[in-house]
Amino acid sequence: MTISLAVPDILVARARAGDLEALEALYRAFETPVYNLALRMLRTPEDAEDVLQETFLEVVRSIKQYRGEGHLWGWIKRIAASKALMRIRRNQVRVTEQFDEEAVGVHAGHADAATGHEGPGAVAGAPARIDLERAFERLSETSRSVVWLHDVEGYTHEEIAELMGKTVSFSKSQLARAHARLRRMLDAEGAAP
Amino acid sequence: MTHCTIVDLLAFKENEASAWARQHVETCPACRAELEVLYQRIAALKALPVRRPARDRWPAVRDTLRVEQRRQRRRWGAWSLSAAAGIALLLLIRPGPAGRVDAAELERVKQQSATLEAELERYDPDQRVTSGRTAALAAALEDRIAIIDGELAQVGMPEAPVRGAELVKLWQERVDAMQQLMTVHVTRANYVGL
Repeated sequence: MTISLAVPDILVARARAGDLEALEALYRAFETPVYNLALRMLRTPEDAEDVLQETFLEVVRSIKQYRGEGHLWGWIKRIAASKALMRIRRNQVRVTEQFDEEAVGVHAGHADAATGHEGPGAVAGAPARIDLERAFERLSETSRSVVWLHDVEGYTHEEIAELMGKTVSFSKSQLARAHARLRRMLDAEGAAP
Repeated sequence: MTHCTIVDLLAFKENEASAWARQHVETCPACRAELEVLYQRIAALKALPVRRPARDRWPAVRDTLRVEQRRQRRRWGAWSLSAAAGIALLLLIRPGPAGRVDAAELERVKQQSATLEAELERYDPDQRVTSGRTAALAAALEDRIAIIDGELAQVGMPEAPVRGAELVKLWQERVDAMQQLMTVHVTRANYVGL
């Protein structure tokens, strides 16, 4: 994802002063990345849009508390991730896991564990984006959140554990399970990687 | 032959692998290939296409913010309003030619207004996702309430010509507007199943 997330300091200062135009400019600057983050963590575009709205309500309410420490996107991203995780907790009441839990510690995904031969398409060929996206969408919201926050957004397991109110081990095992599932699903489709 | 697990490979990627796993990856082509697949998968995740929201949510955010700002101003003015209302009540129940108002009736509508105010606080519309239309309706009603509050504050001033029936009527108008505001929020909530 290549989106410029730099905003002028003067714009942030105006937003902190409650300038509605500046707040809208911030919304326009971060609307897409926030929506993307929420969409990758959640199941439906509607949920992602709701998280987008909730995130910016929080941003406009508490922008005065943003002291300029760290990148603004990091601050907004944390709010968005937190809102998305809150929604996942609510959704978990009515959504069941789509896949059975898989024991962690199984072989990484070699097609033939006995011989150690590579699986089909293991390294050859370009990544099949559509297949990977579809496989990713079939993971549980919790797994997707951990994968996205860790592998794409660069959060550490410690940060994810804190956001989710879980342990570091939980975050690590979720990541391992998710990658094992992705590998298996992509193997089943004959897609790489 | 024992190969690395996905846990081993993820740990390797973060420089946290065991000595055995590090050595094994160096010597096992299958595990090295599997590690490469992992790197490619993560790179492919990062390269997934950017999705954009179908609807613009800024109007709803902006309208909710405006409603909150109005409400904030109303809260700030609440103490002066209740002080003014107290003065007005004192003046009204005094015997005099200006005419009496039914103090009990005034107290009843004031109580009704306070109850609705508390219900709205409990409902906490600020914490709920709202549509642009709902926010606009709520904003219009908030404005109306603010105007009534301003009139009530004026009526409550000692130098104002106090007309009892007018005071009760204003409080009743405030109650009506508060009830409509509750209906707007609750109807919307029922509609979307929140």
